[in-house]
Amino acid sequence: METFLNISAVYGVYLSISVFVIGMSWRTYQWATTPKSPVRLGMFPKPKTGAGRVLKMLKDTLIAPQSARIEPLMWAFAFAIHVAALGAFIGHGRLLHEFTPLVTWLGEDGMNTFAAWSGGTAGIVMLAAVVFWIARRTFGPFKQLSVPEDYLLLALLFGVIIMGDHMRFVGTIHAATYREWFQSLLVFKPEIPAEILGSSTGWSLGAHMLFTDLFLIYFPFSKLVHAVGAFSANLVRSE
Amino acid sequence: METQQMTTLVGVLDQKMNRQLKQYLDICARCAICKDACHQYVATQDFKYLPARRAELIRQIYKKYFTKTGEFVPALYEARDPDENLLDELYESTYACTGCRRCMYYCPFSIDTAWILSVAKAILIAAGKGNEMLGQLADAALFKSDNFEMFKDIIVDGFKDIEQQVKGLTGDPDAEIPVDKQGADILYVALAGAHSILPAAVIFHEAKVSWTLSYFEAANYGYFFGDAVKARKIADRFMDEAKRLGVKEVVITECGHAYRVAEIFHEAWSGEKHPFKVRHILEVIDEYITDGRIKVRPDAIKEPVTYHDPCQIGRNGGIFEQPRNIVRALASDFRDMTPNREQQWCCGGGGGLVAISEMDEFRIKSGTIKAEQIKATGARIIASPCENCRLQMEGLNDSMELGIEVKAIMDLVLEAMPLPGSFAKDASTD
Ligand code: HEM
Ligand code: SF4
Ligand code: SF4
Repeated sequence: METFLNISAVYGVYLSISVFVIGMSWRTYQWATTPKSPVRLGMFPKPKTGAGRVLKMLKDTLIAPQSARIEPLMWAFAFAIHVAALGAFIGHGRLLHEFTPLVTWLGEDGMNTFAAWSGGTAGIVMLAAVVFWIARRTFGPFKQLSVPEDYLLLALLFGVIIMGDHMRFVGTIHAATYREWFQSLLVFKPEIPAEILGSSTGWSLGAHMLFTDLFLIYFPFSKLVHAVGAFSANLVRSE
Repeated sequence: METQQMTTLVGVLDQKMNRQLKQYLDICARCAICKDACHQYVATQDFKYLPARRAELIRQIYKKYFTKTGEFVPALYEARDPDENLLDELYESTYACTGCRRCMYYCPFSIDTAWILSVAKAILIAAGKGNEMLGQLADAALFKSDNFEMFKDIIVDGFKDIEQQVKGLTGDPDAEIPVDKQGADILYVALAGAHSILPAAVIFHEAKVSWTLSYFEAANYGYFFGDAVKARKIADRFMDEAKRLGVKEVVITECGHAYRVAEIFHEAWSGEKHPFKVRHILEVIDEYITDGRIKVRPDAIKEPVTYHDPCQIGRNGGIFEQPRNIVRALASDFRDMTPNREQQWCCGGGGGLVAISEMDEFRIKSGTIKAEQIKATGARIIASPCENCRLQMEGLNDSMELGIEVKAIMDLVLEAMPLPGSFAKDASTD
């Protein structure tokens, strides 16, 4: 297990974060340095002021009201997973540092209950959405339109989420222990706590991290660059 | 196919590459939210008309030749060469698209599929697979300007005939259709034929404006064909005329794509700012009515009237209210379609489709939704300012027995104007 964790939860983390950061910067740089189309591609009605355009872009990107109107169910799942993923991302912030104000406010036990509930909900919502998307891509025009990239991403995502959920719902290790491991990565003195090494949950962490590493490594080379591109593409809409 | 040609086609994509295109090709999630936005896909349920699929064909080439991952693991993206198979499929999806951009409206990333397909057209043209009919029409327009002396007299004679009718309608023996008038305020660019010249001439006469008529028609088959150079040259014909005459504004007739070409594309193509304004004739007429420069009888039309927003004028041109104002000013029962304005369904006649006879059956079928929408209003008259839209809706009217009358807005205005020499029926039927 130690070797596995060293690969996925130590070196893999360094590698994937570097690839992700460099890759995304590179992609953004590529876009930024490709000359713009001289033709204005906006559609009407469009806001008259620059601020209005930015607000509309943010609304179109973060809420996508038009997409909601045409396919409400798909929109609901897409919205749910993006929000849940954001929630989970913030939740993972506990690995960096305990959310001290929250702990003061809720108490040690209160915090653990809150984390269990919020993290648990996010985990379930994400799982449901990913299963919905996988299912949707198995029939009709959705299947015809899909390419292996789509399934690969969904499979990786499924892996990340299911193993994360496993750690949360089945595993017995608490955030404080994971924090020890994560903090050690941050100071470049990687060390995996004995509690993890001694528990079968260690395997779950290893798998969770393996999927996450692969997901992050592939991210900049996939359609997921929409995480950045959606903003600029939606801005073009009101040019 | 020869590697040589393949390299050329990839070169075309490279040459057309820009930030927007690159982003569109990079970010599409293949979520298929655009599927039900496209009237052609909804009406046929044929995969090749699914907007994201049309763009996907270009994406496959892009992935293979412009991304490292696609080069090394093409299977992951179904990346492939622009070979005969791909081009044949591309031809069908591309020249069918009306460029309505309804898919862009609903896409969470506002991906402009029609823009991607304009690049597809450039690739098809380079492969010698551009649509023949559209190509011929574009060349015919250029032939006219290249050999202008040959046509000039015929054109002017045609204008003289229309001038007689203008004199009759306005009751003014001095009424004229000015051509080549230096220093006029407005250069009006019509379509070939009297129907788009006569009403405008009467309206300009009554509004007492200084105007002149262009020798050239506004229609631009170079744009539909997908050859930006030809399209630009076709528009240059009247843009140069406008510069030469020193007009203050160029007014484009009731035509969808011509307005968009003049107002949105031409400056980008030519790389210089117009020294004049470009407006659509309906913006101008709305202003004349509001300012009281022309009069229309408020209840000239009592039958229910509905309005169809042509994509290139509405969603893609920004003119939503002026035509409605005009129709409301002269009809007592105006009914909007649902959905309307920026969400309006394409009628199915855009993109030059009405000129391609082998598309007839498909085109009418793709108008099913429009026909339903029209029926639901219970209107007897459908007014619309785009000639392609009107041709399509006449086709729908015939094949689906809608029992409607399809009208240009200018014709309604003409009917509603209290003119001295006007149709006798105006007085008798009221
Ligand atoms: C902010 C604007 C964003 C919009 C409008 C947006 C929209 C979408 C849509 C429509 C899908 C559907 C994919 C499908 O059908 O499979 C999707 C998938 C996805 N998005 Fe986003 N997204 C945004 C931002 C982000 C960000 C910031 C991230 C991550 C950091 C992200 C990660 C994902 C992932 C992981 C998927 C699922 C991948 C897949 O289906 O293969 N998105 N997004
Ligand atoms: S709605 Fe937009 S992102 Fe989704 S498949 Fe269509 S073009 Fe791609
Ligand atoms: S622009 Fe219109 S016709 Fe073309 S793919 Fe999009 S919705 Fe369909």
